[in-house]
Amino acid sequence: MRSRVVVTGLGIVSPIGIGVSNFWKAALAGHSGISAITSFDPFPMDGYRSKVAGQVCDFAVERFIDLAIGERVDRYAQFALVATKEALADSGLQMAKENPHRVGVIVGAGMGGMVMAEREITQLYQQQKPHRVHPNFIPVITLNSASGIIAMAYGAKGPNLTISTACSSSAHAIGQAFHCIREGRADVVITVGADASITPLVFAGFCSLRALSSRFNDQPEKASRPFDRLRDGFIMGEGAGTLILESAAHAKERKARVYAEIVGYAATSEAYHMVIPREDGLEVAHTMRLALADAGVTPAQVDYINAHATSTTIGDAVEVRAIRRLFKSRADKITISATKSLIGHTLGAAGAIGGIASVLALHTGQIHPTANYDDPDPACALAGLSRSAQERRVKVALLNAFGFGSNNAAVVLKQAPA
Amino acid sequence: MATDSAISLKIRTALAEYLKRDPAMILITQHLRDDLGLDSMAVIELLYRIEETFDLQIPDQDLVGLTTVGHVVSYVEKRLGKTASPPPAMKPAKPSKSKSKRKS
Repeated sequence: MRSRVVVTGLGIVSPIGIGVSNFWKAALAGHSGISAITSFDPFPMDGYRSKVAGQVCDFAVERFIDLAIGERVDRYAQFALVATKEALADSGLQMAKENPHRVGVIVGAGMGGMVMAEREITQLYQQQKPHRVHPNFIPVITLNSASGIIAMAYGAKGPNLTISTACSSSAHAIGQAFHCIREGRADVVITVGADASITPLVFAGFCSLRALSSRFNDQPEKASRPFDRLRDGFIMGEGAGTLILESAAHAKERKARVYAEIVGYAATSEAYHMVIPREDGLEVAHTMRLALADAGVTPAQVDYINAHATSTTIGDAVEVRAIRRLFKSRADKITISATKSLIGHTLGAAGAIGGIASVLALHTGQIHPTANYDDPDPACALAGLSRSAQERRVKVALLNAFGFGSNNAAVVLKQAPA
Repeated sequence: MATDSAISLKIRTALAEYLKRDPAMILITQHLRDDLGLDSMAVIELLYRIEETFDLQIPDQDLVGLTTVGHVVSYVEKRLGKTASPPPAMKPAKPSKSKSKRKS
């Protein structure tokens, strides 16, 4: 028999706040986490076309976790550890009372340990001293360093996986964790998305791809504007989100507070292009349809969509085309918001953070604003989008995430079972 | 020029920093694994620091004997005390001896 899967704990590190209550307060107020890039200093910003990002400023890992663990991993994994610590405390889960082999960790990460990677690569090429490459280089940059360190920090001996599908990584992490519990392979999965790669090389790479916004370098808080006519590319962000997923029976047994239920998931490939989505939105619509079918939910039941909405010209238009294709006349009755309008595109963390916003919409009936939706682009206008926070009882929510490599994910969530 | 005790102090200080302990608690007789709790990866990280501190390269075959604080100290003293034949990865190191000491 399939287990039902619920969310019992949340944790977040984001450009608008560390900790779920800080994040949610700032999100509902429509605060922008986008600012001029400072982290490259003393590397000059002059040569960069884009100069703004969603940075987690003044992050001191030792304020949150034991340095003996924290300083042995890269920034993205530090974020993951901090978000996970909060989520586990929030869930009330006590590892000492759990069967460790029934607690898994699934992390979505797009880039991984790029801070150390760039430093060591630069030094090696400049100094040509291979013996001075740091002994921890490989363990730190290996993409599963976050899932590994989280398991070690909490003694979680169940399935331990890292999913890397660029910008959809942690939506797939949620989906895979959902399947893992549904099929009975774990009672609990610590489900994480994390990335922190606002570094000179990675940022230059996205600039060269002409993927980033450059129109609002002087007004950073205006730069991320999904669905708006003046949008001109995404804004890189960084952060982490953790959701504690567990079987409903396990949560009930330990009398845990349940935020929401995960009910459906789909993963597809467009098999089309490394960085460009199919313009007709067919595959995106197909992905959403599959996820709803997996959930046993009809399009008419969906109240809220946490859109992928990165603020690129083509991506936002394709997503709306897909939403119209699938939901038809209901498309304008669904409340929609774009979390990236507030914090930028946190890459591998985006699915988890969007997932947290979806869970909170289900749990609180509040939907955060889509910042800078000032002048709706007719190519992607939807009635359910708003610059202001919205209130609505959300029974069914859909989380979209699409990644480079022609990759699509959709997750369906429901209000907590009564 | 570094004296023997200066080398010992530097190594014990490096260890103390790594372990976040008082240097006075690091004794020459202590075993890196059994007394100080360094696993094999931690020993490699420590030696990486020591290589930098003394501008040395420690070849793989020399790692085996380095199991106590005293072993590391006497190894470094030996390496700094005479011109060691450079490991293959090094450039022909003409000024290795004097330069090493100056830099440390």
